[in-house]
Amino acid sequence: MIAQNIAFGILAASSVLAAIRMVTTKNVVHAALYLVVVLGSVAANYILLAAEFVAVVQLLVYIGAIVVLFLFGVMLTRAKLGHEGELDNDQRGLAAVTALLILGILGYVLVDYFGDDKLPQLNRTHEQLNATRGTGAVGNAIFSTYLIPFEVVSVLLLAALVGAIVLARRD
Amino acid sequence: MTAALLFAQVEKVATPKLDWAATAPLLILCGAALLLLLISSLTTSRPARGTYAVITVLASAFAIGTAGVLWARVTDAERGAFTTAAGALTVDGFSVFFIVVISLGIALSALLADDYLRRENLDGPELYVLMLLSGAGGIVMAMANDLIVVFLGLETLSIALYVMAGFNRRRAESRESAMKYFVLGAFSSAFLLYGIAFIYGATGSTNLGDIAGFLNANTLEHTGLLLGGFALLLVGFGFKASAVPFHVWTPDVYQGAPTPVTAFMASASKAAAFAALLRVFVSTFAEYRLDWQPLIWGIAVLTLVVGSVLAIVQTDVKRMMAYSSISHAGFILVGVQAATAQGVSAALFYVLSYTFMIVGTFGVATLVSGKGDEHHGLEAYRGLSRRRPGLALTFTVFLLAQAGVPLTSGFLAKFYVIGAAVDAHSYALALIAMLSSVVSAFLYLRIVVAMYMTDEEGAEPGPRVRVPLGAGVALGLAVAFTVVVGILPQQVVHWADRAIPVVLASGR
Repeated sequence: MIAQNIAFGILAASSVLAAIRMVTTKNVVHAALYLVVVLGSVAANYILLAAEFVAVVQLLVYIGAIVVLFLFGVMLTRAKLGHEGELDNDQRGLAAVTALLILGILGYVLVDYFGDDKLPQLNRTHEQLNATRGTGAVGNAIFSTYLIPFEVVSVLLLAALVGAIVLARRD
Repeated sequence: MTAALLFAQVEKVATPKLDWAATAPLLILCGAALLLLLISSLTTSRPARGTYAVITVLASAFAIGTAGVLWARVTDAERGAFTTAAGALTVDGFSVFFIVVISLGIALSALLADDYLRRENLDGPELYVLMLLSGAGGIVMAMANDLIVVFLGLETLSIALYVMAGFNRRRAESRESAMKYFVLGAFSSAFLLYGIAFIYGATGSTNLGDIAGFLNANTLEHTGLLLGGFALLLVGFGFKASAVPFHVWTPDVYQGAPTPVTAFMASASKAAAFAALLRVFVSTFAEYRLDWQPLIWGIAVLTLVVGSVLAIVQTDVKRMMAYSSISHAGFILVGVQAATAQGVSAALFYVLSYTFMIVGTFGVATLVSGKGDEHHGLEAYRGLSRRRPGLALTFTVFLLAQAGVPLTSGFLAKFYVIGAAVDAHSYALALIAMLSSVVSAFLYLRIVVAMYMTDEEGAEPGPRVRVPLGAGVALGLAVAFTVVVGILPQQVVHWADRAIPVVLASGR
């Protein structure tokens, strides 16, 4: 357990630091790259929780697709890359206060509810663990318990697809 | 060889039983959306005028028809409500009621959109496709028996709406409203998701039946997580229902979006938000009523007061109606706050009558605004009674109904809601609701006065207004409902009474 705690500490520190740098950096491309660090640390956290499927999906979708999209967006819309002076506006003080307030409330309720609860020790073999929460279990859940959510997602994607074409089409 | 061996080893996934009749309304709406896309891509020439709108209206009518069959099944004392698809969807009177309300919203808005799209040179199937998918998302929200399903329904509803708001690409206001709605909407979705995570943390499930069962069986030592979840969920639902203080997007988006889309937003989208709010809070969190009722109380008071007071100072009719729709949301919240069967039934009656009133109101606004969707100022309505006496009379009916004048459905809706609040001993809230209704009556009368009592001498006549067939049918239906239900409400009240949401544990 100690090794896991140390790993979690490193991941948590790196994701928080990268997140702070992401919103303070003056360069849009750097911000996108810091985001990679944040999302990668989250993926590593999933691996610590033995949820390898979610971790891989996190890497594929967020880093593989979304950050790349960001970079493409930056590349295609901005004339020159590099330092940008106008990324901030005068509401950053207010935003910081709001963010800290939300952090305080969320942190308080989590500590209040879970306190020093420990995760249950699972003395199970790898196979047993896989049957209940591995990739196979995720696959089974998608086609049984979460069948309707899964189908609704396809409707959602259809709406997004039609919407994207409507907005992007030229007259 | 190896492939065959591999397949032989794979065990079959136990797929849940799906009740096709229960999901028929959803399948019809999504199927119609696909059909529209197919027709438009297979035909090379332009189809006859109004084909797309007719298909949309027919699909909604079919959805309402299958809902009627379901209604007979769920109100049958022996069979009753049930869940399907592994407890993801509930089929009860409540879901069926909202299937009808949302399908009506789609059909009436599509009738308004038909002529609008041709007038603005935007003709095509896309708006109808988005409207159908958005409505299907709303129905998923109303039927959901799982917070994840609620969230996905809300996202489907919203994503289509963001695009619909920006559908008139040539108008800067339309594009701006889509952007505003999207940014704020995405933000509010994040709140909703956080809320779902909190509720899951506190109860160990996202299934509404299991949550209700857990809350009934256990007493929580620390309620912070659960209450935090309530607050975050309320932010998410309040945003969609445009309740104060989550309403800031409403005036800009209602004003900027194409007017038929505004009608859809104010009817179907608002109904879906209240469907989710009622099922999740009033039914699922019934045990913790005393904790969330004060929150709703505060939001309801703010919504009523801000909506009716700010509506008065507007000069743009679409903006006025946006603020008045905020104050109507306040009235529905009064019914939610009562947290009784009577309150729910009153809220349902309000939602149904409001759907017709608001689609009618924005329908008239669509017609009066003229080409370019520009004339929404009060001056466009001056002397409308001389140019178009029928239209002016229709609009007067909708405005009086919104003001709550007797013999219209609007009066009864307000009456039932306030009655439910009084019976639940929320006297202060009932009083505030009545006062705000008096304040907002001024606004509606102001438009009526502009239509009837302005002499046109010297003033330049407003734009020519014509009433196309589709919009005429929609307005006729809306007026008929508003007046007939205003005089003979028994049947609708009976339906609303039998449409109280039930929360069933999964596996039934």
